[in-house]
Amino acid sequence: MKIIILKENLKKGLDITEKITTKNLTLPILNNVLISTDNNLLNLITTDLEIAIKYWALSKIEKPGKIAIPAKLLSDFINFLPEEKINLEVKNNVLHIDCKNQKAQIKGQDPEEFPIIPKIETNDYLEIKTAPFYEGISQVINFTTPNQTRVELSGIYFNFQKEQLKITATDSFRLAEKTLYFENKLNSDLISEKGYSFILPLKASRELLNIFSEKEGEGTKKIDSKKIRIYFSSNQVLFEILFPEISKPQIQLMSRLIEGEYPDYQEIIPKKYETQLILNRNEFLNKIKTASLFSGKTNEIRLKAVPSKKEVEIFSQSSELGENKSSLFSKITGKEIKVSFNWRFLIEGLANIKSSEVIFEMNGEEGPSVLKPVGDATYLYVIMPIKST
Amino acid sequence: MILIRGIISGDMTKEELWQAILAQIQFNTSPANFATWFKNTKILLKQEGKIVISVPNHFSKEWLENKYNKTILKIAHSLNENVKEIKYEVPRTGLEVKKERSRITNHYTDEEQLQFEEFKADKVTNLNPRYSFENFVVGPYNELPHAAAWAISKNPGSIYNPLFVYGGVGLGKTHLIQAIGNKTIKNFPDKKTRYITCEKFISGVVSSIKNHSIEEFKNNHRKIDVLIIDDIQFLAGKEKTQEEFFHIFNTLYERNRQIILSSDRPPKAISSLEERLRSRFEGGMIADIGFPDYETRMAILKVKSQEKGINLSDDVLEYISSNIKENVRELEGALNRLIAYQKLNNQIPDCQIAKTLLKNIISAPTRMVSPKKIIQTVAEFYDLKEKDLIAASRKKEIVFPRQIAMYILRESLNSSFPFIGRKFGGKDHTTAIHAFEKISREIKENERLFEEVNLIKQRIYSV
Repeated sequence: MKIIILKENLKKGLDITEKITTKNLTLPILNNVLISTDNNLLNLITTDLEIAIKYWALSKIEKPGKIAIPAKLLSDFINFLPEEKINLEVKNNVLHIDCKNQKAQIKGQDPEEFPIIPKIETNDYLEIKTAPFYEGISQVINFTTPNQTRVELSGIYFNFQKEQLKITATDSFRLAEKTLYFENKLNSDLISEKGYSFILPLKASRELLNIFSEKEGEGTKKIDSKKIRIYFSSNQVLFEILFPEISKPQIQLMSRLIEGEYPDYQEIIPKKYETQLILNRNEFLNKIKTASLFSGKTNEIRLKAVPSKKEVEIFSQSSELGENKSSLFSKITGKEIKVSFNWRFLIEGLANIKSSEVIFEMNGEEGPSVLKPVGDATYLYVIMPIKST
Repeated sequence: MILIRGIISGDMTKEELWQAILAQIQFNTSPANFATWFKNTKILLKQEGKIVISVPNHFSKEWLENKYNKTILKIAHSLNENVKEIKYEVPRTGLEVKKERSRITNHYTDEEQLQFEEFKADKVTNLNPRYSFENFVVGPYNELPHAAAWAISKNPGSIYNPLFVYGGVGLGKTHLIQAIGNKTIKNFPDKKTRYITCEKFISGVVSSIKNHSIEEFKNNHRKIDVLIIDDIQFLAGKEKTQEEFFHIFNTLYERNRQIILSSDRPPKAISSLEERLRSRFEGGMIADIGFPDYETRMAILKVKSQEKGINLSDDVLEYISSNIKENVRELEGALNRLIAYQKLNNQIPDCQIAKTLLKNIISAPTRMVSPKKIIQTVAEFYDLKEKDLIAASRKKEIVFPRQIAMYILRESLNSSFPFIGRKFGGKDHTTAIHAFEKISREIKENERLFEEVNLIKQRIYSV
């Protein structure tokens, strides 16, 4: 194999593929990246046997071939190189790197030992805009739980309908749901009347986000018009992003899916409320953070809303530290209420809401509450209170 | 030689054949590769020259197909000449999912942070993993149902079918029958276990009638191996549901599938229940859960306080258990109150504090039970009017309930005999004494009367 490639191109490819390589004692080849030539493109592949990432880069191929190289070492080395052209050449399973005044030789492994990446046997795909998809995932990803007893909850739930996609995550204390509406109806036979859904493991979801954020470096203008393709098969899914210049895949992420049925979470989302608050987001966030200082180990802070006063009181106390009480203006409809929450859960929910005002709908001391932005019906965050003592 | 081997291999089971193949592959593969790619593989299907091998994931599938197919085929062929083709498949639902489910059981911890209730129960079985035999306290009052439940979880369907558990509010019926379900899943992961409340069952029947899918509904329920229905007394008066339930019951019963029912009263006392259902309920094992005795109440408190991680002194526990007698749930409520106190004040409540904290829980029931309430409940139970009991009638169907009312007045409220006499339209105190002694005597001899009186008492206390 002999090729010439721009450092920038190679670096980006390694940044995207390298993260999933892991030390694996039974199969050491898994911490390698498989470098090969694919027609006129250079192809990088990594896998941890659950996820596989393929990246193609434009390069000048002088002689085809392939080799498996420790991903971390290669990536670290390439990072130190100047922004120049890099010559890569494989001789006797050793990768020779030559860039301006830097030279290196890295010992490779037999590329035949590298796992074969499963193919998805379908040509049907859905195509959706990348930017909102990325935003949707990032708004729910923190609420999955790595809990092994409920495997279904350890991933993000994607539910495709003809007009919309719902992205959901929950750890059974809180739940976040983002709805994306498609401009054009999805016109695919894949989506039956009932829709199509799958649960993507947390790790694969993280990698997707990582890919998007690496890509964002290219300038946000491009990404706006970008689309991502999704291929389904029985228990795998493939995400594919094409080259902006040519109609060939640039990045593919393949992952297994979590088997099992996602809980019927729509039942959890309250359809009505006993008390509704409309608050200034930043002020609310600040008051919660202040109160959190005094909440002690239990993370408990207490809210009290009195409709006639148009005021919400936030109170926290710990027997060791002392106590704090603050209040802020709020529009309040419904009953007076006193209810306790884990402040961490509140802050994490607010962090995903960007509007200047938020709606907070509560259902008594022990019922689920809903936090959502004003003027944006696509996001909601359901949170369970702490049993007040 | 080849002939003999052919005959032997022809008789090989799928497992044996795969073992034989693996044994030979081992020699041509590095241990690391062998462990990675052949883990959790097996022969799914062996059929006229074709072998289908189940592999855990698509990576293994690709690898075996591309790298090992020739070797496997060669070895398979040498063991069995018929084998011409080998396929690899990733089964859609691996067995692993099931294993995960059985691991849930004891992870439950009581926390103040509330969870989505819907998530606690298992979606398929509806069972709540927090109910297990391990945290079920056994005392003389529930020995029989517990033993029956335990036996059923070991061997569902063949003994005690159906099991009918009844008893008052908050004594652990639901805990017991859910524990059977959870245990059965553990013991027999392949058996289909379902827990369903009677109310859900009724609404299931109603909606399937509406959607014209009653056949589907029935078929779904007929496939179940262990069916658990809670609070079956709510079937009373729902004739169509009773009919559907009757058919499902019969199908399951004939196929030796386990049926477990719970109710707040014995089958005989469930009004407007069809006779054929009643007799079926009585056909298996009927077990009642009575009131826990003092020692059991202590044991329950100790288990619960350990679960919740609070260390209360024995005299506090003694105080609670000697004052809350009729309801395990109330015991737990009292304990929760003390825990809340401890968390707020960082101080373990002593006996004096416990007394003040629990004052309104403990004194509440005695306040609620008045002579009027007792007479009213007794009259209701026997379908009489209150004034019938008080009037000076000597009809047998009135005299007996009146005596029972007198007995309960004396026993529960410790009312004086002259007082009791006055309450019943100015009867002599000797009448009251006679009634009390008569019922006391008969209760000891007559099991059914004993149950009847218990039921009445439960009603008095539960409302």
